[in-house]
Amino acid sequence: MLLAGGFRGYIASRPVRGERMPQQIQNLVIRDYAARSGLAFKLSATEYAMPGCFIMLNTVMEELSTLDGVILFSMFMLPGDHAARYTVYDQILGHVCELHAAHENVSIRSPKDIARFEDILLVDQFAATELPEAV
Amino acid sequence: MNDQAGVTAPRNQDADNVELPRGFLTAEDTVLGQGFLRDGYVIQPAADTDALQKIRASVVILAAEHLGIADPGDEGVFLNAIHERVTIADLNAMRLAVYNGVNAEPWLREAYFDLARRNIEALVGNELAMQRRVNLSIQLPNDDSSLLPVHTDVWSGDSPFEIVVWLPLVDCNRTKSMYLLPPGPNRTVSGRLHEFASQSAEDLFHAIEPDVEWIDIRYGEVLLFAQSLMHGNRVNLEPDTRWSMNCRFKSLFSPYADKRMGEFFEPITVRPATRLGMDYKLPGGFE
Repeated sequence: MLLAGGFRGYIASRPVRGERMPQQIQNLVIRDYAARSGLAFKLSATEYAMPGCFIMLNTVMEELSTLDGVILFSMFMLPGDHAARYTVYDQILGHVCELHAAHENVSIRSPKDIARFEDILLVDQFAATELPEAV
Repeated sequence: MNDQAGVTAPRNQDADNVELPRGFLTAEDTVLGQGFLRDGYVIQPAADTDALQKIRASVVILAAEHLGIADPGDEGVFLNAIHERVTIADLNAMRLAVYNGVNAEPWLREAYFDLARRNIEALVGNELAMQRRVNLSIQLPNDDSSLLPVHTDVWSGDSPFEIVVWLPLVDCNRTKSMYLLPPGPNRTVSGRLHEFASQSAEDLFHAIEPDVEWIDIRYGEVLLFAQSLMHGNRVNLEPDTRWSMNCRFKSLFSPYADKRMGEFFEPITVRPATRLGMDYKLPGGFE
């Protein structure tokens, strides 16, 4: 009696990029993104709070055969480890699903979209987030 | 390995064997607290039966209105057999209609608190914060679209200082109810949770399945449980539908986690001394 299809939301219960976002707001962002994009939203899975833990993301990956895709609140919720992220991408595309990031308004629908995702994630890792003090 | 992870201090399962400081707790509160620490939960009769009936009647009326049913008849029969009137595809729309409707009632939260006021005060304290919305769960037989994977609320952003008051609107047993991992096994599995890093919540459930306790509880009772213990639900394999509500309570000034004051919690029993303290300003102007 499983309801097939739809896009599973994925929200965080720990800071994303060092910033805390209430789960209610994360869900609003995802719902708004889904509505604007014409995607059928399914109630979000909430990642556990422990740093570096992705058990709920793994759980969502196991569910992909019954989904059309996943909507992350933010692409910065993905594992920091490059190989772990590619495992997610491979699983998504292997199930002919889509991966969306609501906050950043970007998505992966085919292999060529991965580079755009990765460019953003990698540049963010190296880019300064504070302006130098004026001389 | 962190074998202390996930422990609700002090060591819960030893509550019978370890002499905990009793302080000035009453004998009644001590017994209740020992049971809570030992088992991770207590089941008590709903203290305010009028409040209980008012809550269930409101839920029934809202569900019947949503489904266009003029006379729902016997409340228990109506709720237990709701799967005969609503499809899985339409379930969430009905749940949201009832959830929003009952939470719009200005009396709901106080009525809910009154179901277990004395027990909450005994377990948590008498100056409290309460969740702003009372959650509603509806689990149709054989429906796997409304499952809550194994979790602790603390893993999802709640403070370990919170407890959950869980209210069945129908009798719940076995898979029609929820399961809870007792404190002893919970400590053991929490200490090696990292071993599940590359696995799923389903794998975690299978690891704890032999030890979980299914909560058998009847309409007219309330369950108060430690949400820092692993819990969840599975496909309801019983013939009737489960209806339950849940709401979190914590001591007003105990630490908050991701679920914060204002956005998730609201004070409900602020005492006069606290009001004085929050208003107090030390006289200044001496510098």
